[in-house]
Amino acid sequence: MTPAADIPLKEPTISAAAGDAEQFERARIDASTRVPVLMFYASAMVWLLIGTLLAGFVSFKLHSPDWFSDVSFLTWGRLRPVHMNVMVYGWASMVAMGTAIWLMARLCRTTLRHPLIIVTGIWFWNIGVVIGVIGILMGYSTGYDWLEFPPYAAVVLFVAYALIISWAVLMFRFRRGDQIYITQWYLLAAFLWFPWLYAAAQAMLFVVPVQGVMQAAVGWWFANNLLFLWLGAIALGTAYYMIPKVIGRPVYSYHLATIGFWTYALFSSWTGMQRLVDGPFPAWMITASIAATILTIIPVATVGLNHHMTMQGYFPVMRYSPTLRFTVFGAMSYTVFSVVGILISLRSTARYLHFTEASIAYSHMGLYAFFTMIMFGSMYYIVPRLVGREWRYATLIKLHFWASAYGVGLMSLMLLVGGLTQGADQNDTSMTFIESVASVLPYVRGRTVAALLLTVSHFIFAFHFGLMLFGLGRTSTVPTFLNPVEAEGSEEHL
Amino acid sequence: MKGLVPLFIGLFGTFAFSWLGLTVIPNWQIGALNPQTDEEGTDAYPTPKSGMADRGRQIYAANGCIYCHSQQIRPDYDSADIDRVRDAGPSPGPKWAERRSAPRDYIFDRPVVLGQERMGPDVANIGKAAPTEEEKPAASPAANVAATSPAPAQSPPPNASAPKPGTSGPPPAAPATSPAPPAGSPPAPPAAAANPSPAASASPNPTGLPPAYSEAWHHRHLYSPRSMSPDNRDSTMPAYKFLYEKHPISGERSADAVQLEGRDAPPPGWEIVPTYEAKCLVAYLMSLDQSHPLKEVKTAPGGAGPPAGSPPAAPAGSLAPAPPKK
Amino acid sequence: MNDQTPNPTSLTRQGMDYGETSDVQEVHAAIQREKREPRVGLEPLSIWLIAVYGIAIFTGGAYLGRYSGNFSGDGLDPLGGPPPAKKGGGPQGQQQQAELSPRDRGKKIFAANCQTCHQANGLGVPGQYPPLAGSEFTTGGSKRPAMIVLKGLQGPVTVKGQKFGSAVMQPWDKTLADQKIADVLTYERSEWGNSASPVTAEQIAALRKELANHPDSYTEPDVLAVPENAELPGGAPAGAAPSKPGEAAKPGGSPPPSPPKS
Repeated sequence: MTPAADIPLKEPTISAAAGDAEQFERARIDASTRVPVLMFYASAMVWLLIGTLLAGFVSFKLHSPDWFSDVSFLTWGRLRPVHMNVMVYGWASMVAMGTAIWLMARLCRTTLRHPLIIVTGIWFWNIGVVIGVIGILMGYSTGYDWLEFPPYAAVVLFVAYALIISWAVLMFRFRRGDQIYITQWYLLAAFLWFPWLYAAAQAMLFVVPVQGVMQAAVGWWFANNLLFLWLGAIALGTAYYMIPKVIGRPVYSYHLATIGFWTYALFSSWTGMQRLVDGPFPAWMITASIAATILTIIPVATVGLNHHMTMQGYFPVMRYSPTLRFTVFGAMSYTVFSVVGILISLRSTARYLHFTEASIAYSHMGLYAFFTMIMFGSMYYIVPRLVGREWRYATLIKLHFWASAYGVGLMSLMLLVGGLTQGADQNDTSMTFIESVASVLPYVRGRTVAALLLTVSHFIFAFHFGLMLFGLGRTSTVPTFLNPVEAEGSEEHL
Repeated sequence: MKGLVPLFIGLFGTFAFSWLGLTVIPNWQIGALNPQTDEEGTDAYPTPKSGMADRGRQIYAANGCIYCHSQQIRPDYDSADIDRVRDAGPSPGPKWAERRSAPRDYIFDRPVVLGQERMGPDVANIGKAAPTEEEKPAASPAANVAATSPAPAQSPPPNASAPKPGTSGPPPAAPATSPAPPAGSPPAPPAAAANPSPAASASPNPTGLPPAYSEAWHHRHLYSPRSMSPDNRDSTMPAYKFLYEKHPISGERSADAVQLEGRDAPPPGWEIVPTYEAKCLVAYLMSLDQSHPLKEVKTAPGGAGPPAGSPPAAPAGSLAPAPPKK
Repeated sequence: MNDQTPNPTSLTRQGMDYGETSDVQEVHAAIQREKREPRVGLEPLSIWLIAVYGIAIFTGGAYLGRYSGNFSGDGLDPLGGPPPAKKGGGPQGQQQQAELSPRDRGKKIFAANCQTCHQANGLGVPGQYPPLAGSEFTTGGSKRPAMIVLKGLQGPVTVKGQKFGSAVMQPWDKTLADQKIADVLTYERSEWGNSASPVTAEQIAALRKELANHPDSYTEPDVLAVPENAELPGGAPAGAAPSKPGEAAKPGGSPPPSPPKS
C-alpha cells in the first residue's frame, strides 16, 4: 500500500487564468450565499441547543419522573414531542437547507441573487417552529409522531418553504455546465419530495382525514420518508460532495452512484410500515415495508462501496480534516443504521424489539449518527468560506467529535441492548409488566449519560460557531487541522 | 446524468409509487370500513364514543400518552400480547385482550393513537378490565348490591351521565337478588337508600386503593402513579397533577374526590378533585374495549364467548342448525 | 499548529465583511487551496456487488411473496389465505341465513332484543318483567303474544298469578320485520318447556294490517279481551280472511300446527 503522501493528488494542471477564474467565481458565489446560509446555521444552532437541553430533560424524566409534575407544559408527554419536532424541523431541516443552498449555488455555479427572499423564508420557518412548539406545550399536540405541530404551524412552514425552494430551483434553472452532479440529484430530489410529502401528510391527516388505522399508516409513511427522502437525501448528497472535494479525487463510480440513487429512492420510501409491524393492518402492507427494508441493502451497499473506494488510500486524511472525519463517520453510520433497521423490522425480531427503546435507538442512529454528523462535517467546511476565518481551536473540534461519537454510540448501544431486554421481558408472561420496565431502566439511565455527552458536545460546537459568527476565528491561509501535519509537503493535499 | 426530464420523471415516479402503494391503495382497501353488525342490524361494533370519551382521546394524544402506552394488540403467533395478564387487580387478573386488533376497531378514532412504545402496558382493553359492580368490594352490605350499571364498555361512566328514565326501551337487567327498586325507575347509581356512603360507583371508603381499573383507580393512577399496588415504584409514568385541583372540603367530601394516602394525600380538610379534562380522559380510558369479536379476526380459544346474538358462533356450538324440536 | 497572527494594521472593518483584510490572497486562501469541484469516475460494477443485489432481491421478493396474506384488505395474518368470513368453512359458516331454522333465528333475535328484560331463561324479573316460560300469554293462542310484541304493553299485568306493573314493553312493529317477529314468537313458544304452535310471517303480516289503525301499547284489559286460545289466522297453508280489529277470534278453532319451515 503506497503511503498517502506518494499518491499524486493534484489534478492535471490547468492554466493559472482558468484556475483564478474558477476561484474568483467561487468567491463570488460564497459571498452571495453568506447571509442566508449563516442565518440558517445560526437558527439551526439555537434550535440544536434548545433541542439538546430538552433531550436531557426528557431522558432524565423517563427514569426519574417526579420533577415538575404539576406544571402542564413541562410534563414529559409534551416535552418529548417538542424535543422531536425541534430537532427535526428546527435543527435538522434548517441545517439541511443551509448546506443545500450552499451546495446548490456552488454546483450550479450561480450566485444567489436577492438573498432577502431566503432570509424571509428563514424567519417564517423559525416562526413556524416557535408556533408549533408553543402549540404542543399548551396541549394541542396532534398525537402523530413527527407531525405533532398543530396544523396552523404547518401552514407557516409551507409559506417559508415556498420562499426557500423557489430560490433553490431558480439557481438550478440558471446553472452553468451541462453535467448534473450526483449531489444535485439528491438535493433536487429532496427539495421536490419534501413539500409533496408534507402536504400529503397534512392533507390526509388533518384536512381530509383518512379513516381509522390509515391515519397511523400515513403518519409513519411520512415520518420514515421525512428521515430518508428529505434529511437522508440531503445528507447523502452532502457526503458525495465533501468526500471527493476534501481529498481531491473523483467519486469512484458513476454507475454505482446512479444505482445507489435510484434504488434509494425506490426502496427507502416504502419502509414506513416497519414501525407498525404486526399492527392492525393488512399483512401485505407490513410485509411490503419489511421487504423494502431488506432491499435497502442495495443502496446501502452501493453507496458504501462508492465512498469506500473513493476514499481508498486516503483514510489517513481523516486524521487532519474535521470535515472528512465527521462526514465519513456519518457515511459509515448510514450502513450500520440500515442494518439495524433490517433487524428491527423482520417479524421474528420485531417480536422482541417492537414497543421498546430499540426504536428510539434506530431513530437516533438515523437522525444523529448519520444525518447530523454529516451536517456537522459540512458546517466545518462551509463556515470558514463564508466568514473568511478558520476555526479557532482544534481542541474544541476534537472534543466535539469525540463527545458526539461516544455520545451517540453509547446511546445506541444502551437503547438497543435495553430494548432487547425490555422486549424479552415483555414477551415473557411469567413476568409482570412492571418488571419489563424495571429491566430497561438502567439502560435509560445510561442514555442520560450519553445525553450529557451530547449536550457538552453541542455547547462546545455552539461556542465555537459563535466565535466564527462574530469574526473571532483564526485568520490564516491554512485550515484548522485536527492534528499536527507531519509529513513534509503533505499539507498541500489538505 | 445529463437529462433533466428523465431525472424528474424518475423522482416523481418513485415517490408516487410509494405514495400510492402505502397510502392510497391501502386507503382504498381499509379506508372506508363500516362497523360490523349482525343480521338484525343490531349489535354494531365499533360505535363512536361519547363526547367526553372523544375529548378524552384528544387529551390522551395531546399529553403524550402515546409515547409510553400502545393500543394495539399483536397476534399470538408473533407476541405474547393476548395472554399477558394485567398487573393490578385480582389474581389471575384480566388478560390484555381476547384477540388481536384489527383495522375495524379504529374506524371512529380520530386521531388514532396506536402508540409506539410500551413503557406502560397496552391499554386497548383497559375499559374491559374495569370491575363489574358485583366484583367491587362493598364497604357496607347494602352498598353495591342493588346498584347496577351497564357494562363499562357500552356506556359512559356512571358519574358522567344520568340513567335513562325507564319509560321506554328495555332497562338494564338487575340481578335477581336485588331488593325491589323504587317503583317506576330503573336502579339509580346511588343505589338503595340504605347505602350511607355518598357514591356507590367510587369505592365507598375515602382512602385505600380503589378496585383495580375502576374510574377511581384511574384517577389515582393519573395523580400519583407510583402509589398504586402491587409495588409500582418502578413506574416512570409522569404524575399528571395538573389535571387535578385541590380545594377545601365544603360540607361533605365530593363523590369524585381522588382517593389518596400517605404523602400524596392532601392535608385534612382538603380534597383533590379531577378537572373536567381528567374526567374526559378517564371516560376515554373506561371506554377502551376491543373484546367484541370480529368476523375477520380469530378470537383466542378459551376466551370469553361472543355475546349471544353476535355473528361468530359461541364455542358450545349452540347455533348449529338443529332439527326443529317438534 | 500552523498559526499565523494577522497583521493588526491590515485589519479594516468593513461593516458586514467581518473585518476582511485587504489582502486578497489571505481572504480567499480557503478558496485558493480548494480542489476543483468533485467529478465522477467511471469504474465498472463489481461482480460481487451484483451478487449482493441478487441475494437482496431474492430475499426481499421471497419475503414479500410468502408473507403477504393474499394482498387483501382483510388479510391480517401474513400467512393467511382468503379471510375466513368469505368462505363457508368453520364455525362462521353457520351464519348462513338459509341454514338456520326459524327457532334458531328466533333465538338470536330474542337474545338481541328481549333477553335483557325477559332474561335468557325466560323467567323475567319478579315484579318487573313477566316471565315467558309457562306464561299463559305466550303459550296460549298465538294472537295475544303477537299483539303484545307488535304493539307493546303497559300498565299492570298478572302473569302466572304474579303481578307486574313497573316496566313498560315497547312496541316492536317498527323495529322488527314480520319474519323476525314470527321467528321470535316461534322460539318463545317452543322454548323453556313451552310447546305451542309456531308462528309464520304471513300471520304476523296479516295481524299487522289488522292492527294498523290501533294506537300503540295495549293494556292488560285489551289483551284479555282477546280470547285465550285465539290463534292467528293463516297458520294453516290456506289463510282465512283477516278479522276486524278488536273482534273475537275466528270461529273454526285453532288450525293444526304447520310444519316448521327450514
